Amino acid sequence: MTTRAWLDGWGRVLRAPAIVAGMFALTLAAAVPFALVLRGEIEAHLGRSLAAAAAADGVSYDWWQEFSSQASGIGATFTPLVLGFASTLDHVSSVLDANGETAALAGLAAAYVLVWTFLSGGILDRYARQRRTRAYGFFGASGACFWRLLRLGLIAAAVYGLLFAYVHRWLLDEAYGRLTRDLAVERTAFLWRAVLYAAFGALLVAVNVTFDYAKIRLVVEDRQSAVGALRAAVAFVARHTDRVIALYAVNALAFLVLVAVWAWTAPGAGGAGWMIWGTFAGTQMYLLARLVLKLQFMASQTALFQASLAHAGYTAAPSPVWPESPAAESIR
Amino acid sequence: MRRARLGPSIVSLLLLSCLINVEAQQQGVQQFDAPQAGARSPRAASYEIDVTLDHAARRLTGRETIRWRNISANPTSELQFHLYWNAWRDPESTWLRERRLAGAFTPPRADAWGSIDVTRLRVRGVELTSQKRFIAPDDGNAADQTVMAVPLPSAAAPNETIDIEVEWTAKVPRPFARTGYVGDYYFIAQWFPKLGVLDDTGWNTHQFHAATEFYADYGVYDVRITVPRGFVVGASGRQVERTDVGSGQARHRYRGEDIHDVAWTTSPDFVEARQTFVHPTLPRVEMRLLLRPEHAGQEQRHFEATAAALRYGGEWFGPYPYDHLTIVDPAFQSGSGGMEYPTLITAGSRWIAPALVSQPDRVTIHEALHQFWYGVVGTNEFEHAWMDEGFTTFSEARVMEAAGMPNYLAPRFFGGFIPWTIRDIHLSRATDGNRLPGYRDHAEADAPSTPTFRHWPATATYISYNKTALWLHTLERHLGWPVLQRILATYFDRWTFRHPQPADFFSTVNEVSGRDLGWFFDETYRGSNVFDYAVQSFTSTRAGDRYRTVAAIERRGEAIFPVEVVTTFRDGQRVTERWDGRDRRVIYTYERPSEALSVEVDPRRVLLLDVHYTNNSATLAPRAREAGLKWSLTWLTWLQELLLTYAFFV
Repeated sequence: MTTRAWLDGWGRVLRAPAIVAGMFALTLAAAVPFALVLRGEIEAHLGRSLAAAAAADGVSYDWWQEFSSQASGIGATFTPLVLGFASTLDHVSSVLDANGETAALAGLAAAYVLVWTFLSGGILDRYARQRRTRAYGFFGASGACFWRLLRLGLIAAAVYGLLFAYVHRWLLDEAYGRLTRDLAVERTAFLWRAVLYAAFGALLVAVNVTFDYAKIRLVVEDRQSAVGALRAAVAFVARHTDRVIALYAVNALAFLVLVAVWAWTAPGAGGAGWMIWGTFAGTQMYLLARLVLKLQFMASQTALFQASLAHAGYTAAPSPVWPESPAAESIR
Repeated sequence: MRRARLGPSIVSLLLLSCLINVEAQQQGVQQFDAPQAGARSPRAASYEIDVTLDHAARRLTGRETIRWRNISANPTSELQFHLYWNAWRDPESTWLRERRLAGAFTPPRADAWGSIDVTRLRVRGVELTSQKRFIAPDDGNAADQTVMAVPLPSAAAPNETIDIEVEWTAKVPRPFARTGYVGDYYFIAQWFPKLGVLDDTGWNTHQFHAATEFYADYGVYDVRITVPRGFVVGASGRQVERTDVGSGQARHRYRGEDIHDVAWTTSPDFVEARQTFVHPTLPRVEMRLLLRPEHAGQEQRHFEATAAALRYGGEWFGPYPYDHLTIVDPAFQSGSGGMEYPTLITAGSRWIAPALVSQPDRVTIHEALHQFWYGVVGTNEFEHAWMDEGFTTFSEARVMEAAGMPNYLAPRFFGGFIPWTIRDIHLSRATDGNRLPGYRDHAEADAPSTPTFRHWPATATYISYNKTALWLHTLERHLGWPVLQRILATYFDRWTFRHPQPADFFSTVNEVSGRDLGWFFDETYRGSNVFDYAVQSFTSTRAGDRYRTVAAIERRGEAIFPVEVVTTFRDGQRVTERWDGRDRRVIYTYERPSEALSVEVDPRRVLLLDVHYTNNSATLAPRAREAGLKWSLTWLTWLQELLLTYAFFV
């Protein structure tokens, strides 16, 4: 069933390319205004300097450091970590090490997550129905589910907040500090850190997967109560632990494969002229693949949930008016 | 061509610098500092030390006999000792007060403290223990116990030798300032009661400060170190004896001649390797490496880096005078990496050390080069840290380049454990090796002529290391390497096994270069002004059948340096002007048949201290838009990925 759900998930994602395109456009559109601000800062700093030629043709680390010394806000985030695979490591490492973001980027990330929350209703609805819902149907479902998804999101934010504010600090700061205080061997210290990463990561995944199914139950079963959906998700995960974990692991493995391929193929700074756009296109392909994987998580989990339902009557009775619950699709 | 000049004369500045030079030359002189017969150094302070490590209690028990000769011109009626480990006796030591000032300091845990107590002190057989007292010559901190003074029964006359017997116990701290233990690894530095330096102006015995290091007279160190059997020992000097002494302990005897300090390390885990440095014109040196087992496979990197330092240091400055050098690979979290002691250095590697990244090579080269600038030329690190740290940083960058060592940027992730080499960024000698970015951000923090121990603790290194390396490289580009190399070699030769003052280096520069460079040292050594030359405006407009090109060059910083200004025209012609850089501004105007393309101030980048080089040029065909597009798109993808990472939580 896990394999079928995983393959089914791919089918659902690929049969709804508008969602992929839309979410990709959303991610790009959210970032572009900030990039324009940075572009202005870079241009202003370079002015008419000949240093611009070196910066355009390759990497002028000398100029870059001079720029960084006077940069603030988003300009301060323009570091060599933006180059190639370092970017991926930077982001994943930042999550696992609970490094914060600058105020501007934290605000952007919060807004982005909020929009995702709004659109999640439409996305899950579309993946559950497995038929075109058109923009009207998509946004109708998004709107209908938004407030309950938002309530669920607030609960999730509180749980994640507790995880990062307390559990992370306890594991990766206090426990790690105690465990490694007298270690004279770096490798052993890293091993401890890896173990603690794994422990924290397991908690993170447990919370993540539970809220994933809570969202699915909220949308697919047309539930009104976020708490109810969360309880139902816990019950679902408890009843189908093996399948849930297996599916999550397969999806995570796909993510790791993608990241490994990216590690080998990520372009560096590149040169000027057409190479600018060539490099940009290459990185966009990777980001597209990452987005597709994110959507595959949602679609395959929806597929697993639906495949695990004993019968359509198991779901809360949906109102057969548009946008009706996608569970109605299962009524024969 | 028209040229506009504005600004004052600097004759008064030159006069002032001469006065300061005369003043500086009177400091730190020792009248009887010629090498003793059959020796290379004055051997003013020689130590016979017997120390035992109590591994279980983390304590040292020691006794020493110091044969000290008053090599100053004046008699002295007291002795002054450094008791460095008392810097970690309690939170009110000067070291810890300054460390807190520097910020980002975590208070030590209860078991982390260290201390040293002199239990007995005799001179010429007279018991003086009860007469010892603590003094704080630098800041009057009554709580500081890092300098101890003892009155002599009778004054020690110039060139008189006396024997001093000292016994002490010490609590080994958890790592502070490259000293202490972690697990069963020990690095023991600045560990014994050590005499200050007496010169013609009196005792030079500074308290232990957070931002400065050490100063001592040369001598012979004969040290017996007793540790648990099975522990490997490395120490300054050469091992001459090892004997089992019963009770599961072994005594290791090391002897070092014409050195001014001794440090040692011990651990049962060290893996020992040896190689010999061989060079057609330089003496052979036996390199002994004490490597941590987890760094197996990195032996050759340590040896090659050390050999590069010995080779280029020997070729450029003068031969390394000892036939041995011990390289210690410090334990993780020991905080003892990257430090120099006579004939012993600590390097510093990582479990994952990519081949294209300069760790551990760079730090090994740096510390090995300290054997020249600190070990052999015995500078006063309390007062003039730039004379060894800056010289060494400059030399390190030069050796890295000469040896062709790969040096790519490699940020670390996941708690600092996992490196990723960014092959787009190869670190340069001129700006990265000499550490321009750090200097740029703290250029005005202090003037190097201020005694280093008075520098702001958080920024002292930027002045001692970075600024000095940058002005030495500037001097190299200004005078040419052959001249600077002769300067450094002459200075090294004259001050081998002696204690030079800043004026001694400056006079060597003037003498060897045949120029009066007082103005340069006024700017770089005696001041904290910044250099920043810039193109203020640049136009090239048609005027009849010709083009009128106007380049206004501005001095934005207060510091002055002569610079070239090169204007390039579309027909390929280049016009070079030499501006003394003194006025606030100079304007060059050209009437030529060709339109101008660009103007550059200091295009050869002689003045590496210029904190904003981007504004040193202007072109009429700017490419800032292209660069802005490229880098904003690169950053855009980084930001998109950041957003997708956050999407995990939705």
